[in-house]
Amino acid sequence: MYSSHDIAVADHRSEILTWLSPLEPHLRHNDIRKNRVMGVGDWLFCTEEFHSWKNGNGQGESQKAAIFCSGNPGVGKTYIR
Amino acid sequence: MLFLTICDYSSLVIDIFCDNPGEAGEDNAVACFYFDSGAQKEQSAMNVLGALLKQVVSSLDQIPEEITDEFRRHKKFIGGRDLQLSEIVMMLGSVSSTQRTFLFLDALDECAGPDRDKVLLSLKDIIEMSPTTRVFLTGRPYVGDEVAKHFPEGTTLLSISPPTEDIIRYIRAKLAEGISSGEMDLELESEILEEIPENASEM
Repeated sequence: MYSSHDIAVADHRSEILTWLSPLEPHLRHNDIRKNRVMGVGDWLFCTEEFHSWKNGNGQGESQKAAIFCSGNPGVGKTYIR
Repeated sequence: MLFLTICDYSSLVIDIFCDNPGEAGEDNAVACFYFDSGAQKEQSAMNVLGALLKQVVSSLDQIPEEITDEFRRHKKFIGGRDLQLSEIVMMLGSVSSTQRTFLFLDALDECAGPDRDKVLLSLKDIIEMSPTTRVFLTGRPYVGDEVAKHFPEGTTLLSISPPTEDIIRYIRAKLAEGISSGEMDLELESEILEEIPENASEM
């Protein structure tokens, strides 16, 4: 059972989160992940670039905080019209 | 119609970070934003950074005191006062520095130019406040120069050109979705699987 105090805290929390942003980007994320094909993209995790970015701590050789993955908007769709 | 797009890659990377705790066993804070050229009004720099902040704060057991204080301060104004971009950036920089934070922004080219500039400047400020924060960005190649300009320590550039195995895997899955087993001529299927990856790799 939740006490009235717990409910008040939860209400307050959701009020603050909505104040920070009314948007819900995780909904778009869930839509995209539903259509993903298992195994596609796994190679990305094996690249050295990805590893050094992920494990970087902002110091020494691993100070590059940003990784930019460039690609054209689609592959198959450009070919099959 | 086939749509193997770069956001498939972004969503995969996001899930990997959400599902795997950090090396020391602690959870990573993960926040994402997918730009969409059809939703320009919604994706002002302030909304984008606000949405990232909201996700990072949601992952915490307790909302940090500095944020609740700021909330109370804003509530004092009649009807409540909206947050400013600089306030959001300060809060995000501060909250990101308390834990390992990964920020993902997909399809930067679909964000309007002036907002894109503000978003990148804000990310630069956040990294200055929280040097362990990592930013994962995707977009069409022409945005690469703009990105590199904003991160003085350098940006890792990675070109996403799906390998043939990805394309084959994707086509196979999509063919299987649309056609019940036995209806697809095997010869036609193998012809499709052979022709499309070959042509796609030439683009």
